[in-house]
Amino acid sequence: MTSFSPWLAGHLEMLKLWIGMFCTLGLFSILYRENKVYRFFEHLFLGISMGYLIVNTFTDNILPKFWEPFWEKGEWWLIFPIFVGLFYYFIFSQKFAWLARLVIAFFLGITSGRAFKAYVNDYWPQIPSSFKPVVPHDAFTAADGTQIAELTRGGAINNVIFMVILLCVMSYFFFSFEQKHPVLKNTAKWGRWLLMFAFGAIFGSTIMGRLALLIDRVTFLLKGFGGGAIHKDYGPWIMFAIMAFLTGMVLYLTRKNAAKEEAQ
Amino acid sequence: MNILRFLQEVDRRVLYALMLLVIAFPVLVPIPLPMKVSPATQSLYDSIEGLKENDFVLFGVSWGAGTRGESRSQTYALMRHLMRKKVRFALLAFEPQAKVLNQKIAEELQKEYGYVEGVNWVNFGYQIDQENFLQGFGKDIVGTIKKDIEGNPIGSLKVMEGVQTAKDIKFLIDVTGSRSFEVYITFLQQPFNIPMGGGLTAVMAPEAYNRLDSRQMVGLLGGLSGSAEYEKLLGKTGEATGASTSSAFAHLLIIAFILLGNVAMFLEKRQRQRMGYGEK
Repeated sequence: MTSFSPWLAGHLEMLKLWIGMFCTLGLFSILYRENKVYRFFEHLFLGISMGYLIVNTFTDNILPKFWEPFWEKGEWWLIFPIFVGLFYYFIFSQKFAWLARLVIAFFLGITSGRAFKAYVNDYWPQIPSSFKPVVPHDAFTAADGTQIAELTRGGAINNVIFMVILLCVMSYFFFSFEQKHPVLKNTAKWGRWLLMFAFGAIFGSTIMGRLALLIDRVTFLLKGFGGGAIHKDYGPWIMFAIMAFLTGMVLYLTRKNAAKEEAQ
Repeated sequence: MNILRFLQEVDRRVLYALMLLVIAFPVLVPIPLPMKVSPATQSLYDSIEGLKENDFVLFGVSWGAGTRGESRSQTYALMRHLMRKKVRFALLAFEPQAKVLNQKIAEELQKEYGYVEGVNWVNFGYQIDQENFLQGFGKDIVGTIKKDIEGNPIGSLKVMEGVQTAKDIKFLIDVTGSRSFEVYITFLQQPFNIPMGGGLTAVMAPEAYNRLDSRQMVGLLGGLSGSAEYEKLLGKTGEATGASTSSAFAHLLIIAFILLGNVAMFLEKRQRQRMGYGEK
């Protein structure tokens, strides 16, 4: 593209900054209200992402792993998985639907095996790590030669809290029978509360994540665009002033609309 | 409008406007805040610090534009540390945009540390179907990847010398905004017993902490604050350090409005009771 137009080659970085700025502000316009500018940029982003996915899947996967070996190196046997994949379409034929079922059964088997492997490798190691010592002790060497670190009084209290929370939360998930016994009833009730605390913490973390994305875009508008496309030193401050003006406009319009609604 | 009523019915656009200003100001005027490094970050730093020169690290980078605000600074910090330690690394992406985004970061940092693509690092590019891919990758790295993103055969690159299977990987990192870290644990970390660290978005991090307890992961960076802590350990102020001030101010604003809204609600309730026409 740059060899096609020398002008483009010289202004590519600047163009990127301007496009980035318009895309960012266009997407931010949803913060005021639903509008067509936002919809346009949203669809643009989705379309580009999808196009990018298709091209990269071809260039990084299909091209080196199938296309080149098949056509250039003569690895003709690579055609067989494609035929096997095409068997899926026999699902539309009453006579040959059994062929589709063969492929489906094959992939169900693979997926089940993988799910089992995932369960064993990902979750099982977490079970023994949930059993924690609750009595303080000095560092020592176990019978099998493993070095066991010292457990302080504070560490032991921490482990007790962990065990109590774990048992309470687990008791909440006993759904096979009615939780009538006062011990089980109360621990399950506490388990529910403790789960709520955890969800609250996760939600707080989610807010932090979303803010990070906003900060990234604001930094781009101020330093990236302001410093790159307007002026190296004053550009960020000029962008800050523009953003403050736009924000003021939004607040003015909000207030005006609210006053109009109140009058009606 | 009564101030108590106003505080309970603040238009969301007013909050957005204030949020924008509160975030923008620290970007322009850096305000350093004290920071405490969490054990999870410290542990990841110590593990990478323990690597020897020329060790081979697999650097999973499955993030795209959607989580750039968090994942980019994590990638910068971790890659900088790897280059300081003079270890070899390979970038591997299961997200199409990650291929180019991380290539740019590596190209930018390599100038600073004298790294050369193909000699000290390589980009394996974007791969599909992580589960199936990693099963084959663990047993035969060169045969599974075949070519890097420049089109060079993997086996001919100097960076891959002595690296045949996952057993030759000394450390595994996954910076991600998805659940790819779980698949790494299942198909690479556990079967080959590779020490693993992660850089996760703040949304994902709480779900990964139990993997620290079980030592499936030796450490992790949680969101923007994780990268800021890592920058502190590296002694190199980057974009995350400044952004964490904006983040702190934005949180204070949210907390202030939650408190003000609730206080206003209780005060108004009391006022109505005192005047004799409110609920008791």
